[in-house]
Order: sequence, then structure tokens, then C-alpha cells
Amino acid sequence: MKAITSFEQLEGYRERVKAAQKKDLPSVLICFGTGCQANGAVAVAEAFREEIERKGLKVDVNVGFKTTGCHGYCENGPLVVLRPKDVLYLKVKPKDVPEIVEKSLVGSEIIEKLVYKDVNTGESVAQYHEIPFYKYQKRIALRNIGNVDPRSIDDYLLCDGYKGLARALTMRPEDIVSEVEKSGLRGRGGGGFPTGTKWRSCRAVDSDVRYVMCNGDEGDPGAFMDRSIMEGDPHSVIEGMIIGGYAVGAKQGYIYVRDEYPLAVKNLQAALADARAMGFLGDKILGSDFSFDIRISRGGGAFVCGESSALMRSLEGKVGEPRAKYIRSVEKGLYDKPSVLNNVETWNNIPVIIRNGADWYASFGTRGSKGTKVFSLVGKVNNTGLVEVPMGISIRELVEKIGGGVLNGKKFKAVQTGGPSGGCIPDSEADLPVDFDSLTQAGSMMGSGGIIVMDENTCMVDVAKYFIGFLVEESCGKCTPCRDGLPRMHRILSDITEGRGREEDIETLTELCDVLTCAALCGLGSSAANPVLSTVRYFRDEYEAHIRDGKCPAGVCKSLITYSIDAAACTGCTLCAKKCPQQCITGERKGAHVIDASACIKCGVCKDVCNFDAVRVE
Amino acid sequence: MEKITIIIDGKQVEAVKDQPVLMAARENGIDIPALCHHPELESSGGSCRVCLVEAVQGGRSRIVTSCNYPVRAGLEVNTSTDQVMKIRKGVLELLLCRVPDSEVVRGLASKYGIDEPRFFKDEGENNRYKCIACSLCTQVCEDVVGVSAISMQNRGVEKAPGTPFHKDSQACIGCGACAYACPTGAISMKDSKGVRTIWGRKFKMAACSVCGKPYIPQAQVDWIVKTTGKDRAFFDKCPDHR
Repeated sequence: MKAITSFEQLEGYRERVKAAQKKDLPSVLICFGTGCQANGAVAVAEAFREEIERKGLKVDVNVGFKTTGCHGYCENGPLVVLRPKDVLYLKVKPKDVPEIVEKSLVGSEIIEKLVYKDVNTGESVAQYHEIPFYKYQKRIALRNIGNVDPRSIDDYLLCDGYKGLARALTMRPEDIVSEVEKSGLRGRGGGGFPTGTKWRSCRAVDSDVRYVMCNGDEGDPGAFMDRSIMEGDPHSVIEGMIIGGYAVGAKQGYIYVRDEYPLAVKNLQAALADARAMGFLGDKILGSDFSFDIRISRGGGAFVCGESSALMRSLEGKVGEPRAKYIRSVEKGLYDKPSVLNNVETWNNIPVIIRNGADWYASFGTRGSKGTKVFSLVGKVNNTGLVEVPMGISIRELVEKIGGGVLNGKKFKAVQTGGPSGGCIPDSEADLPVDFDSLTQAGSMMGSGGIIVMDENTCMVDVAKYFIGFLVEESCGKCTPCRDGLPRMHRILSDITEGRGREEDIETLTELCDVLTCAALCGLGSSAANPVLSTVRYFRDEYEAHIRDGKCPAGVCKSLITYSIDAAACTGCTLCAKKCPQQCITGERKGAHVIDASACIKCGVCKDVCNFDAVRVE
Repeated sequence: MEKITIIIDGKQVEAVKDQPVLMAARENGIDIPALCHHPELESSGGSCRVCLVEAVQGGRSRIVTSCNYPVRAGLEVNTSTDQVMKIRKGVLELLLCRVPDSEVVRGLASKYGIDEPRFFKDEGENNRYKCIACSLCTQVCEDVVGVSAISMQNRGVEKAPGTPFHKDSQACIGCGACAYACPTGAISMKDSKGVRTIWGRKFKMAACSVCGKPYIPQAQVDWIVKTTGKDRAFFDKCPDHR
């Protein structure tokens, strides 16, 4: 491919790609995100190729066929989308393929058994954009994902790709910074620092070398929006970084991506090579005086390397440890040069902001948090996956409208937001708008956008213990409060959940939290107290029930619960007795059964299998 | 060196712009306890968190580590507010849990009223002896000596300095700078009968031609001669007889 050296050439090329497209060709799009591939999407794609050939059809002549990035609805994968009818099929297997090609691709029939069924209403919905999970979303960051083949730069160009860059190169760098400032975009990685302000500070430092970096070291358990963007729309990140490089005066960019994301690395590498070949990277980009390139650096799997200063150390080839940030990275960052580090989702928003303007972007969201945010909605909720919504949507809307409510009709108890060092927000606060400032005020944080829904069967002390346990494992060990404080907090929480809680424990925990918050070296340490502080704040009674009454109200902590059978409800069906691994349930057929508490290991099998809700946990 | 005036504990003091607050305080006779900072090592500090102070700048107050917080115009520092004392005490209690064998940490904690921590101690197989994982040793080895024979390994509570793969380090010159820099005396170094033992290796010592006392590992002499071009004859005599 010959490099493009002017804006006219770029538009000419775009027009040629557009003209070569056959409009309204019946097409099949197969999700090739990591989740769908794990669910068997590769075999499904192969089956489509074979079936299309067997039918004597030709790709790009009679039918369209492509593999795309992640649609975010991974639990229902492999996902198959049919265009132009906008039909979504879920959990597609290779054996379904001949029928799909026959009826839905060539014909226009909808195959009922493959479409979405609303768990609450029982209603079938075939149209992609009518499914509640998608209907209430506003996709800006995820604008191209699922529509484009991430390996095709032409596909990206068809979605107005690199138009933002072309526009940026006609602007003065300081005007780009002003535009980003005006858009109100705040860092999507967790801190929520205003992106434009960061860029301006970096520009202001006198230096002949500057760097821009992309933080793709997404480490929060359950969060996968950055992976999805890097895998499914790599050019959007690259375009954002080129614009950023031009705006702050950098010639070199780095994408730091965790090595556990092999598909993201592969797609980014391919996209970088294509962008270079077409002249979007390299010397004199699009005929301008601006030269810029990007390299990929793969992380080694430490959670702490998602922290900005640790990431830079790791990028330099040193041990990934945070440093004090009294002198900020915009002054002295990578190799001690002024540097801008932004998250994947932040970079991905830049091209549309430049293309559509700051006012357009700022029309979404709230006063202090503009735009949209991608969340990974997981836990005890009917629809799980990646969702993008305008900032300011309430937790309740997220859980009920998009998430389809709590799983199995159970009672909603809390959401945990912000990753392991985020906090829990209770049902009573569920009308809280989800934005940077509201979440922080509520004792949690935005973090990278993880939202875990918890139902009435979740013990909040156990949750705090789980997250502190994660942080104990991931503490880098450099500073005393995090390294030595977290294991002590974990021990106290273990004692409480195992019936050894003492009256003073809550106060001691709070004191330790204070030491962590005030004295830890980096953001991970200083926010590590959040799981404990937020659960103590909203669920203090649960801590007290564990400590004072030796009871776990949610029925989770094994040392504090006993299983028994309600004689009045038991029908004597013997199912529990048959399934009990300890063989400690006895009783006559059609007579009430009894659990021998001394042999019971509290595995919960009896409760799970009982059809008459006769097993009690207290 | 730009001199500026800042306020520490209500007193106006002169300090050099960008120098650590800890140094500025010490130069003005104000004591702040600190373990992991070494004045000769710019990269040191920020790890033990004992030297916490309150820094007020631009109307914003926050708890910072004085060993690496830079002196800037308009800065006001308070070294012993109630909150600072409380948090510092909390940090010392945790350090005491980690290294109950360390006299230095025990002494410091005792000054803050902690003789026995409320939490479990790292004992038995988790015993770290006296090491607070501050990495002064590895920094000296890298930045001052220039051999990088040891580095920090593992993470979390397991973090500790060591030679590569815990095998004898061929890069080590036996100089003992790590042991001298260690704030808690956690690194074992023994000189006996003209042989120094450190990090599991034995180093033959060169003797002073005047007093006959072995005083420097031969490998260290070789390293200095090689890297600085200093005359080998200089090391014939120990510092007392030069």
C-alpha cells in the first residue's frame, strides 16, 4: 500500500473504499472477541464460510461476511449479527449455521430459538437495538466495536476513521488542547483527572522530548472494557494517541498492554503496521511536518503496573514500583521527560471529540462528568457485560433497565464499583447518579468502571475480606502501610467472619484504614481502605451481628451459620439426603428430615436441591 | 541553588528550592524521624513512611513524606500535628509487627508509646529478621557502587533484597556498602581472619602494609582501580596509615 501524503488523498481513498462496498448486501457479522472465541466463535465462523461456499454464494458479491470485536454481551456468545436487518442471534453453534444461512441470510426469516428472550417478560426480541441490554446504551467509546473488522483499516476508514486526525493536523496544537479541555473529558482509568488540563501542563514544561502513553494494563477483576476496545477497535486508540502526540509535542508514543491480552496485542500490532503503511504513523504524517510513532510494551502481570508511575518504571525496563508523585508525570514522567499517560478509553474518545467538536461531546453526561462511560456490569444481575451509558445515569437504572434486574428475583443489596479498591454502595443509595464525584462522595469510586451487583445472599464483611485479600496479593510491597497494613486488616476480617471478632475490631479496622489512606505511597494503597470503609459505613450492623451475635445475616460465613430443615415445609422427598456429600441427613420417606449439625460441612447442596424451600440457614 | 524561605513548625527557615523537606528541616535543627532515606542517595526514601509531615501549599493541606517532598516557595510544614503523630504511630506499629527483632524500630516505636503491637507479628517462617524492605541497600549497590549485585525481589510481604536467584552474585565486590546503608542492621557482614563473608560469598581482604590489618576486599580494590583508574598502590595502606 502506498502511504497517503495529503488530506485530499485520504478522502479520495476513503471514497474509493466506499464505492467498492456493496450497499445493503445481506451480511453476517460474527463476534470474535475473546469471550465469544472462548465460547466457540471460531468454529461458528468456519461453519459459515463452508456453508456460504456450499451454497455457491460468494463473499462480497452475494453476501457479506466478517468477524468483529466484542459486543459486550459475552455470556450469550457466540453472538452473530445479521445486517441490514439488525438481527442478533445468541449462543450460536456450528450446527445452527446451515439454518441461519438458509432462512435468515438468504431468506428473511427469523429463527425464534436463537433470539433474545427477556427473563422478566418472556418476550422474544430479535432486533439488536431493541434488546434492553442495548436499547438504553449510548455508544461513543464503543462506537465501532461490533461493526468493524478490527484487522481492517478500510473498515475503520468507512466509519470516518482518521478524520479526527486530519482535522487535528489543520489545527494549532494549543487549540486541540483547548478543545479537549472544553469537552470536559476526564481520565477514564479511574482518577478522573481532566484530560485537557493534563495535556496543557505537559505542553507547558520546557523540554525537547515528550512522550504520550496509553495505559492498557487493565487489572481490575471483572473489568474488560479496555481489552474490548483494544481488540475490537484498535485504530481508535491509535488515532487518539497520534492526535495527543501532536497536541502535546511528542514524537513517540507507547501502548502498555498486559500480556494476558494476547488478542489485544495482536490486533494492535496489526493496526500499527497498517497505520504505518498508510502514512498515519511515521515521518511527516499526511504530508504535515508532524512525525510520530507508537510502540507496544507488554506488561508482566502485576496489578500495580496499572498505577501510572509504576507503569512508567516498567516501561523503562525496571521493576514496576510506584514513586512519589509530588513531582508529576507531566513534568517528569517516562525517562524523566514530560509525559502524558491516558487510559485506553480516554484515548479512544479523542478522535470523535476532535471530529464532532467539544460541544457535541459535552452535551452528554453531567455538569462535572461529561460524556459517556463504559461499565462492566457483572454479578447477580440478569444481563451481564459491557455497557456504555451517559454519565449521570443512576445505579438503579443501570441494574434494572440494562441489567434486567437482580438474578432469580432476589433482593438487590448493593453494588461494588471501582475495582478492588472501590467501595460498596447500598440499595438505599441506588438512585445515586453514576459519575466521578458522586461515587467518590459515596465512599466508592469510578475506577475503571467495574460494577458488581450483589443480592441479599451476599455478606458484606465477606466481600470486604475478599477485596482486601486480593490487595494483599497484589501489593507491591514498597511502602509499609500497604505491605504490612493490609495483611493485618485481612486477619481481623477473617477473625470476624470466623467467629473470633472482638468488640474493638471495627474501630481498629477504621484506624488501620486511616493509616493506609493518609500514609500509603501510591493511589492503590491510599484507596485500598475503601472496601472496608464503605462496608463499615453502610453495613455496620452486619459487622456487629458477626461480632456480637456470632451471626452472619446473609448466611455466607460458614463458621457462623447452621443448616437445618423446617419440618413443616419438608415433604420427605429424600432428595437432600441422597445428595448430601456427608450423608448426614436422615429421615423416613414422606417424613420430615433432619440434618446432623455435627457432621454438616455447610456446603449448601441440600438447600440448592430442595424444591420446597425447607432448608433453613441461620 | 536557589534559596527560598519556607515555614516549618511556625518558624521561618531558609531552604534550597527542590531539596527534600527532611533535609531542610534537619539543616535547621528540626528533627523528623526517618529510616529509608539517605542524604547521599537522591533516589532513596518514600518507602518506610515514618517521616510523614503535614505540608500546606496553595491552600491545600496533605500528609506527605518529608524525605522526598520538594521545598517550593510558599510551603508551610508541620512536623508534629495530632494527625501526623497518629498516622506516624500507626506506621511504626506496623513496622514493629514486621521486624520485632529490630532494635532501631523497637526504639523508635517505643518513643511513640508502642512497646507491643496490637497485631500479629511476622514470626517463624515469615520472619524477615530486621529488614523493612526499604531498598536502600539495592539503591546504594546500583547508584553508588555501580555493580547492581542485589535487587529487590518478590512483592507484598515477601519483598526483600537478594542476589539473582539467591545464588552467589558474581557481580558483588564485597564492599559492604549495602550493610552500611541499611537503617536497621539487617544485612549480615562478617570479617574474620582476612576473609569477609557477605551475601553468602567469601571475599579475600587486602591487608594494610603498615599495620598488617586486612581492611578491604581485594575485589573492591580491583573494581575501584578498573572503574576510576586510581593507582593500585593507594590501597597498600589502610585509611589510618595513608
